[in-house]
Amino acid sequence: MAFLELTDIRKQFGQAVAVEDFNLKVDRGEFVSFLGPSGCGKTTTLRMIAGFEIPTEGSVTIDGADITNKAPNQRNVGMVFQSYALFPNMTVAQNIGFGLRIRKESESAIKERVDEMLALIHLEQKGHSYPSQLSGGQQQRVALARALAIRPQVLLLDEPLSALDAKIRVSLRAEIRAIQRKLGITAIYVTHDQEEALSISDRIVVMSQGHMEQVGTPFEIYNFPQTAFVASFVGTLNTTTAEVVDSAKGILQIDGARLATAEKLDGRQKGDKVTIAIRPERFSFASEQKKANVVDCRIENITFLGSIVRIQVSIGSGKYFMDTFNNPFLELPKVGDKDQVTCSREAVLVLKD
Amino acid sequence: MAQATQNPIRVNSSRRSSVIRNLVAWAGIVPFLIFVILFLFWPASSLITGSFQNQAGAFTLQNIIDLFTPSIMDAYMLSIQISLVTAIGGGIFGFMLAYAVIQGGLPRWVRTALTTFSGVASNFAGVPLAFAFIATLGHTGFLTALFADKLGIDIYNLGFNLYNFWGLALTYMYFQFPLMVLIMAPALDGLKREWREASENLGAGSYQYWRYIALPILWPSLLGSTILLFGNAFGAYATAYALTRTFNIVTVLIGDQISGNVLFNPNLGYALAFGMIVIMAISIGLYTWLQRRTARWLQ
Repeated sequence: MAFLELTDIRKQFGQAVAVEDFNLKVDRGEFVSFLGPSGCGKTTTLRMIAGFEIPTEGSVTIDGADITNKAPNQRNVGMVFQSYALFPNMTVAQNIGFGLRIRKESESAIKERVDEMLALIHLEQKGHSYPSQLSGGQQQRVALARALAIRPQVLLLDEPLSALDAKIRVSLRAEIRAIQRKLGITAIYVTHDQEEALSISDRIVVMSQGHMEQVGTPFEIYNFPQTAFVASFVGTLNTTTAEVVDSAKGILQIDGARLATAEKLDGRQKGDKVTIAIRPERFSFASEQKKANVVDCRIENITFLGSIVRIQVSIGSGKYFMDTFNNPFLELPKVGDKDQVTCSREAVLVLKD
Repeated sequence: MAQATQNPIRVNSSRRSSVIRNLVAWAGIVPFLIFVILFLFWPASSLITGSFQNQAGAFTLQNIIDLFTPSIMDAYMLSIQISLVTAIGGGIFGFMLAYAVIQGGLPRWVRTALTTFSGVASNFAGVPLAFAFIATLGHTGFLTALFADKLGIDIYNLGFNLYNFWGLALTYMYFQFPLMVLIMAPALDGLKREWREASENLGAGSYQYWRYIALPILWPSLLGSTILLFGNAFGAYATAYALTRTFNIVTVLIGDQISGNVLFNPNLGYALAFGMIVIMAISIGLYTWLQRRTARWLQ
């Protein structure tokens, strides 16, 4: 039985439907991210778990108990806010101990737990500081400690790193994941940053316009996107429309070139249009021996991205990206050169309509 | 070498432009400084000097000693009482109104209407205000007559009196609570929704949110605006004078001393004003001390 379960969730604000047909089962100790663009309903769903929004339809259960209509202060759920939401009139220690004080725990128990949390976030020396005296990263760590101090059943994180600079974001997300693993707490993480979701999650729920587009591990989401939206939202992807040439053999035609896919084209007829997707890193320059899935191309642009070199090639009238690792001892083609690129049959993904 | 000669020139020119920017910035506040010197420091210093002089210009402590006579002490007490009552009453009422329109989820137009009204009403004082209240709640005022004619209720027989302490307090409230609305509205706007949500998430109810978070955060603003309301009422003159004429608050006494009637003694008037400055200074000192004690997080 799932630890956290959202069943047939629908949320409507007036006439606008924010979330619809949302079904999710989260295991105890699992780290699940809601990933999607602004307005896709990910924060609304999170707020329904926290109790700040009540679903128009559907139910939320934690460990078998229905909490759908419970007030936020009656749920044992910890939340970390995007803007930290630390109480400015309280010291770091008072912020962390606030939930315990509300629960009327003894002063000694509060102090012990606060010290434990301060050690967990490596801010032992900052207990007497006020939030305004801390950096953004430190404030967010305090917010995490405050949410964890009450020993919540589920930890909710609403874009907790989006207000921080890139370097701190990377280190803090690793810290969040390490703490979550250490405590074995079930966590739901909302983000619009695909890299963040891919790097931190056990599973990702990709959302668009209030709907779940795909649920899967980061590996599945990145390598096998099921819809055009997921394909376009997660990572860089070449998508194009192809025409079915031979459905039995998986032969497709794009921009005058023929490509084979390993995916089944059951039910497709010759001449049908399908959307296909190929990751840039799945393309490579064709060696002389390689014959399958080799297409002629022209080098249009070369962009140096550090460890990666992104090459834009044109195949017929279409333009595609191809990524190759940076190797200072290999000569790159020049813009305007004619060459051949290839990809495996497995790299050619046929997306759902 | 070329670079070595260019750098000092750049440094010099950037220093010069920074000095010019500084001068322009200072020039911007010169009118304000002149205004403050002419209309605050100069009158205040001549007032303080005059407090220690007799009418012939000689040094004396008599004016200060006179402040401790029973009638003047009563006037100070009355001024403090009316200021306290209307500051606290107007403060509470104004705060509740501001809360209702800003955090209470009322339609946006209610807030616009209230702030517009507050902007006007907070400046509506003096003779026009007194007249408005006399015309409305005086012995023959519109509402007094309406209650008597339509409901058969004589509000004066029921104990209401526009011309006593509580009547004056009611009149003062007309400009006190709108001032509180205007001051507290931005402070209430500054209360983040996330603070309430975070407190709820941690198990707190509404009472605990207000007790531990909202009120402590608002406390400096509440304290500051109450002091401002106190000062606003403490310095009011024309409303009380026009409404009651005989209501002996300090400002009316000062008016009597300098307006040339039988009590004419401008130096005592200066001393009375000096006493008011001392009381306001004590109030502001108390405010600063309280704020330092209770809002360390602001420092």
